[in-house]
Amino acid sequence: MSQQENKVFDSKITRRDLIKVFGVSAVAATGLFGASEKAYAKSAGHVVILGGGIGGSTFAKYLRFADPDVKITIIEQYPEYITCPRSNDVIVGYHTLDELTFNLDTVKSKYNVNVIIDKVTDADFDKKTVSTAKGQTVSYDKLVVSPGIDFKFEDYEGMSKEIAETKIFHGYKAGPQTLALRKQLLAVPQGGTAIIAPPKNPFRCPPGPYERASFFAEYFQKHNPTAKVIVLDPKDHFTKDVPFKKAWERLYGYKTDNALIEWVSGSEGGGVMGVDADNMTVETMAGTFKADMINLIPNQRAGKLAQKLGLTDASGWCPIDRHSFESTIQKEVYVLGDSTIADAMPKSGYAANSQAKVCAQAVADTLKDRPLGRAIYSNVCYSLAGENYGVSIAAIYEVRDGFIQPKGKSAGVSPITDKPAQPILEAVYQKNWQREFVKDVFS
Amino acid sequence: MKNSIKLKTLLAACSLMAAASAQAEPTMANAQAMAWQCAPCHGTNGQEFKEAMPPLAGMPAQQFIDAMTAYREGTRAAVIMDRVARGFTDDEIKAMAIWFEKQPVKQWDKTSLTESLEAQASAAATGGQK
Ligand SMILES: Cc1cc2nc3c(=O)[nH]c(=O)nc-3n(C[C@H](O)[C@H](O)[C@H](O)COP(=O)(O)OP(=O)(O)OC[C@H]3O[C@@H](n4cnc5c(N)ncnc54)[C@H](O)[C@@H]3O)c2cc1C
Repeated sequence: MSQQENKVFDSKITRRDLIKVFGVSAVAATGLFGASEKAYAKSAGHVVILGGGIGGSTFAKYLRFADPDVKITIIEQYPEYITCPRSNDVIVGYHTLDELTFNLDTVKSKYNVNVIIDKVTDADFDKKTVSTAKGQTVSYDKLVVSPGIDFKFEDYEGMSKEIAETKIFHGYKAGPQTLALRKQLLAVPQGGTAIIAPPKNPFRCPPGPYERASFFAEYFQKHNPTAKVIVLDPKDHFTKDVPFKKAWERLYGYKTDNALIEWVSGSEGGGVMGVDADNMTVETMAGTFKADMINLIPNQRAGKLAQKLGLTDASGWCPIDRHSFESTIQKEVYVLGDSTIADAMPKSGYAANSQAKVCAQAVADTLKDRPLGRAIYSNVCYSLAGENYGVSIAAIYEVRDGFIQPKGKSAGVSPITDKPAQPILEAVYQKNWQREFVKDVFS
Repeated sequence: MKNSIKLKTLLAACSLMAAASAQAEPTMANAQAMAWQCAPCHGTNGQEFKEAMPPLAGMPAQQFIDAMTAYREGTRAAVIMDRVARGFTDDEIKAMAIWFEKQPVKQWDKTSLTESLEAQASAAATGGQK
């Protein structure tokens, strides 16, 4: 179809209008509609999504809502996806990995999405093709990249990818890493020490390390009451720190002699400089810490694929147009989720899902030459400070003065109240969210 | 000849639409864009009927408006909805209310894509007005 014909289609002129204008045979002959659904689908374009995780899968589903006809393909390296949300629960045994394992079957069947299980190795932006490890070449009209994160092991003396797979686990991609942490936690001797070392900002799931610290403390309280969690932090503040610390006081004797959690801030020298995996020690400005397990969550950057495709800037993350999530480095390529620079939005699954919806509408509108609507984003992160104690942060976002910022007076963390119902209800909602969220992504 | 006049009218309408599209960014996100943001907690298109968070699909528009306004003004007890509702204006709340009212009153996984696309289109066709 020419541009002109596309416009005709867009302005909601029905097939009957056209038949009235051109006559039946003419309409069939021009191939405007009558041609076939295939012809239309072809002209509607082919949107190829790299990474079928939270951002990629949500995008596919909602692009189908925004455009019933466009051809959609997801290329994902693994046949199954294990969600990071709830993986902290697996470490302490509240859930199993099976409950966190999903696939793209429903996305494929219900939303008519072509799914290719293969690893993407490169893209040619001039030819508009993507190539894979198994030697496939796939052409696209619009490309969407949602590859998650990559770790900067090199920021720590004595740390490497190999050590991260054998001795010092991050548990920041769910799966074998999660189970390895569980095994180590269960093996901590009576009175032993577990170290959690969170990364510098920005990083995936900002409350993740602190929820994990809470879970470890709760586990020790039940099974190993003289053991202790030490959080060695390069930062002086973390998300929801006020309600988290309140919960630690209430539940784990935080700041008392018998505290199950100790938190060493950046100014106190908590930032990790190096590790010795054989002796299980951690080097910080505050001194050397010896532990029975070290959960170092390394500093991060955009997923390897985003780096390989040249979509990152000097910060290591992907700059995007805030209205559409189109890369500002490469036209017709969109980036979603953890890999992006999204200003006030955290690197969360909720945020990736939110961005995917705005981007899906923007891609559909662009393909049909329609003006973009106004972007609106949201994020809610529920964390557990104990199995029945929830804390949350919530905000609605808009683009203002060139940045994604909280809209109205929406941003806020759980209030500190004396009402016992608040954290209990937040824990109920957290579990509710965990079940609900994956349905919005994968089914 | 009658046909070509009609065609001209159609094409004129198209260029008018194109001109409108060149105008400034809209002041408000459309109802669908806002409503989609509620899904992680309330189900795709508000169609989760089995959880603690209330379903929004099929909720009478006035009920939605009253609840959101009360959350925003702090006159209704909330766990997190006060923090969420403070992000929306009256017009935005109303547009979402009308959109959700049009969604099928059934669990998302029991809803076909066609049925949902029809419901979403009919909600969009209201233009946020009753
Ligand atoms: C412990 C923990 C708890 C968390 N809890 C929450 C929570 O409660 N709530 C919340 O909102 N968020 C939570 N998160 C964060 C959430 O998991 C991420 O923000 C989210 O997964 C980001 O989505 P994404 O699409 O950017 O990346 P991902 O979901 O990681 O998806 C990336 C996908 O791309 C694929 N991929 C990468 N490279 C290639 C390639 N070359 N070829 C093919 N495929 C490729 C990967 O296999 C993967 O499937 C948590 C994270 C952690 C670590």
